[in-house]
Amino acid sequence: MKINFIRVLLIIITFITINSCERDDICIDEITPHLIVRFYDNDNNTLFKKFSQLSVKVMGIENDSLSFSSTDSILIPLKVTDNSTQFILTLDSDQNTFIRDTLTVNYDPSNVFVGRSCGFKTIFNNTNYLLDSNNWIHNVETITQTIDNETGAHVKIFH
Amino acid sequence: MKLVHMLKYFINILFLFSCIVSFSQKYDSQSTDTIIKNKYGLRVGIDVFNPVNAFFDEDRKGLELVGDFRISKKLYVAAELGYLENTTSEDFINFTTDGSYLKAGVDYNAYENWLNMENAIYVGFRYGYSTFSQTLNSFTVNNDAFLDDFATVENGQKFDNLNAHWAEIVLGIKAEVLNNLYLGFSFSGKKIIATKEPEGFKNLFVPGFNRVFLNNSGFGFNYTISYLIPLYKKDK
Repeated sequence: MKINFIRVLLIIITFITINSCERDDICIDEITPHLIVRFYDNDNNTLFKKFSQLSVKVMGIENDSLSFSSTDSILIPLKVTDNSTQFILTLDSDQNTFIRDTLTVNYDPSNVFVGRSCGFKTIFNNTNYLLDSNNWIHNVETITQTIDNETGAHVKIFH
Repeated sequence: MKLVHMLKYFINILFLFSCIVSFSQKYDSQSTDTIIKNKYGLRVGIDVFNPVNAFFDEDRKGLELVGDFRISKKLYVAAELGYLENTTSEDFINFTTDGSYLKAGVDYNAYENWLNMENAIYVGFRYGYSTFSQTLNSFTVNNDAFLDDFATVENGQKFDNLNAHWAEIVLGIKAEVLNNLYLGFSFSGKKIIATKEPEGFKNLFVPGFNRVFLNNSGFGFNYTISYLIPLYKKDK
């Protein structure tokens, strides 16, 4: 009887232990959200409009530009250590002509704890957009001022 | 660090199996006609893991006092009182937990001793309470790797007056190696019942509970050396 009692307890404890060993070492939660830009047709403000080739250069970052081709939606990263991120958006049209506009995104970053493996992420509040020229982008329209997820677009670009 | 944790885990499992093996000896034991008197008294000791571990691991400093008092042939009232300062280093965060804890409960000795031997293979239940602080030493914001802005923020933000309540199942062995001197090993599975979380952070480590896993469970082990202060003897 005693042995059975102990065995049952051993089994219980083993189960608790196995249960405890679930993996939380790998970060699978959402981390810092990207800025989601949706491209619209300047002639008809309700229609999406694809570009053929776009390169996005993040100012102050050594890395090469991010390249996107024939899409109407892009995800670009924002700097978490700064209050603004400046992007040079270069449109490469079919005739190999490069036209660029500079978009500055200003925001108040705030750090939010995610979990053991992911650490902290940043969310961006009071976002606003500044366009320095209108070479190919005609207008920028804010969809949401708070960037805290990647479920939908945050800003519209009309071109 | 990972390897050390894995080794600790496997050593724990081996100890669990060693308990099973030791039961097989029990079939031979039959009680004798002589009346065996059991020692009753207060057993006090310390957990030797933390003091020894401090030589190898600078991130964990602590001391735990253990004690139990026998109330019947098989039942002991048991308690642990400890202090622990532990620094946890993860990929994106580094924090120090500092606090003290108390665990109280009962141990049930399921081992039928030979003659006048006083060994124990026991199961126990504990209620644990800890009061502590968390200091977030540094963190790195988890952003798109493209930006290379993995600048570590030296924070040093301290979260005070935190606490946690938990329940614990203990499985352990105690062996009398010299007269009244015991060596013990125990393993415990734990589950947090209630905890006061810091604002903007989380209790990922609790003194006395150790690492808090995703589902609020945890486990721990003790290596104890303790001394029995015999008060009286009873025949059962």
